[in-house]
Amino acid sequence: MRQRTLWSVVLVTGLAVAGCGSAAPTQSSSGESRSRIVVWDWKSGEPAVASYLEKAKADFAKKHPNVTVEFVAQPFDQYYTLLGAATQSGKGPDVMLFNGGGQLRDRVDTLLPLDQYVAEDRQRLAGWDAFSKDGKIYAAPVTLQGHPIYYNKTIYQKAGLDPANPPKTWNEFVSGCAAIKKTAGARCFALGNKEGFGIQFFMSGLGPGILTPKEYDDWISGKRDWTSPHVKEIFALWKKVNDDGLNNDGANSTALFNDAFAVFNTGKAANIIGLMSDIGHWKDFGEFLGADQVGVMTAPVVTDGAASVLPYDGGIGYGVAKSTKNPQLAADLVRSLTSTGALTAFYTGAGAITSDTTIDVSQGAPAVAAIVPQIKSGKPALHVALSSKTLDLMGRLSQQLLSGSASVDDVVKQLAASDKAS
Amino acid sequence: MPIGGSSPAVRSAQAERTAGAEVEQPGRHGTGRTSRRVPRGARAERLAPFVLVAPAVLIIVALRLWPLLLGVNFSFTGDGERNGTFVGFDNYAELLNDPLFRTALRNVGLLVILLPVAVAIPGLLATFIYLRVPGHRVFRGVYFFPAVLSPVIVGAIFNLMLGFDGPLNTALAQIGLGPIDWLGDPGIAMFTVVGVHIWATFGMALVVFLAGFSTLDAALLDAARMDGASLPQIIWHVIVPGLSRTIQFVFVTTMIGMLTSMFGLLYVMTSGGPEGSTYLPEFYVWIQQGQMNRPALASAASTVLFLIMLVVGILQVSVLRRAGRED
Repeated sequence: MRQRTLWSVVLVTGLAVAGCGSAAPTQSSSGESRSRIVVWDWKSGEPAVASYLEKAKADFAKKHPNVTVEFVAQPFDQYYTLLGAATQSGKGPDVMLFNGGGQLRDRVDTLLPLDQYVAEDRQRLAGWDAFSKDGKIYAAPVTLQGHPIYYNKTIYQKAGLDPANPPKTWNEFVSGCAAIKKTAGARCFALGNKEGFGIQFFMSGLGPGILTPKEYDDWISGKRDWTSPHVKEIFALWKKVNDDGLNNDGANSTALFNDAFAVFNTGKAANIIGLMSDIGHWKDFGEFLGADQVGVMTAPVVTDGAASVLPYDGGIGYGVAKSTKNPQLAADLVRSLTSTGALTAFYTGAGAITSDTTIDVSQGAPAVAAIVPQIKSGKPALHVALSSKTLDLMGRLSQQLLSGSASVDDVVKQLAASDKAS
Repeated sequence: MPIGGSSPAVRSAQAERTAGAEVEQPGRHGTGRTSRRVPRGARAERLAPFVLVAPAVLIIVALRLWPLLLGVNFSFTGDGERNGTFVGFDNYAELLNDPLFRTALRNVGLLVILLPVAVAIPGLLATFIYLRVPGHRVFRGVYFFPAVLSPVIVGAIFNLMLGFDGPLNTALAQIGLGPIDWLGDPGIAMFTVVGVHIWATFGMALVVFLAGFSTLDAALLDAARMDGASLPQIIWHVIVPGLSRTIQFVFVTTMIGMLTSMFGLLYVMTSGGPEGSTYLPEFYVWIQQGQMNRPALASAASTVLFLIMLVVGILQVSVLRRAGRED
């Protein structure tokens, strides 16, 4: 009986305190300067970025010789979970790496606006939009991330297609796929949608060939018309491509990272919507296929009125925690991490197309030499404009489209509702 | 009650010692001093149990109850712009309206339904080992081996095995059966993951069963054999009743394992997919907290998970208690 009373007291106390406090700290701390800056990322453990970090550290050490910089590499899979937990407990890092778009925008309440600190870099660097919200910049772009369509020139040649002139329209593209299947025995697209990311690549990679320029610009600016036939076409085409056997089998159980890239690398598929930086890009593919055999094209035009452009945004970028004790110092480190010297090392070491438009890539592989000139005329990627919640839902719905358990109309309706609520 | 049962014993031992001291004391120190010492001893006697349990209570309160209450507390606050404000049961309402969370709860129900399979497999295999099928020593080691593997390793192995163009589908194709999308078909994926979980964990239950068998009266088995009982009859009429307590114990531990230890396997094998069909509450909590930046909603989901575990736990305790009474 006494035990029961004790438990009741514990329970009542618990409920009495319920509703007070919050899951995340509501105030930022400020204080005297500190001589140590802690950086969290998922990159610094990779050998390919060692020279990049060395250059950035050297640049920062020149300005602040007495400040120690500590890089803490976290596993990417758990990065945002760990970051969220650390921030909520008030033990987060001073500087942290973000993916552009939803992952950053969902967390701007914990970040310091960087406009005043990075004013000098605005012209030199590209990709700021992915790191901005409501007109304020929250991170400085390190790489550009986009979705060119890569193709295997050897397979194209085998199929009697001209590797130097990839298809410009969807009809040309599909008839090329038929030839590829017949003569080379390869599928048209390598697709992995186990994580639900495949649809993001598809939407951004082929979207410029589907939406008209006005629809495209409206989408990016937030005026998204989910009932538009062209928007529906994105999802209808996603389904049709799979139904027609243009993808490798088992797309819903194939991981995009890195099984789908392996399908392309091993010549089992002729095309893949890849990335510009990080992984699954020109340099990775070049190592398997030979740099000269990696072709790159923009989206074939699917609907009348569409004008295909390179879809890209800021890829990854460093932001500063609102709670940092010395914002100026942290912002200076971000500037060093985005300095031309450091970013040049990132390009040469990891093959990333960096945010610095002044870096000369003309001596690089044919694919990178073809991508970089398109940056100027490129537009932000379609999926980056969506919130993480909508992207998560889109991943699941895209799997339903592939398995046939949802219709295009239903998918578009659900996405419109989620987009409106975000 | 263990506490109530043990305290009189402590007290009587103490009392004997005190009484002994009192017998000696009058001769040496006089009655005046004795009368002052008795209450002090009695107070120490009263306080001693509290002092002894204090470290355990402090640890439980600080490391278990307090975080638990913080979690419940967070679940009544908002996320994002409403961070820190009291939102009542909004998070719980959102959970109930979220088809993904409902799928996660449905999957908990599915696990409960599949529980007998997870218990029957080690039970049957342990029976065969006990009945000394040829090679039973080898089987004992082989069956236990996966229990020492990390779920990440197990998940990675089965990802390769069960890939659409993986070895299992290749083998199926050779015998004329079409490929099965083990991890990509929403109707199959959950069963696949549960199957792998059972494969990876039944070794421990097998050991418990073998321990239970060691308490079984061999004379009963011999008698059954002498009476001409068939193997199924021996299993059903002799082994199952004889192992009823072991079976109940394995049910309890397997259920706990299924509800709380499948995260690693799910994460590696399906990440909740396809179509969200393999979500479990703890995976949902992880996604909301980490990927969606919704710690308050995640707290609400973990509170619901805690309540589910509480109900399951109470049921299990009552089952065990009933089993104890039968003896």
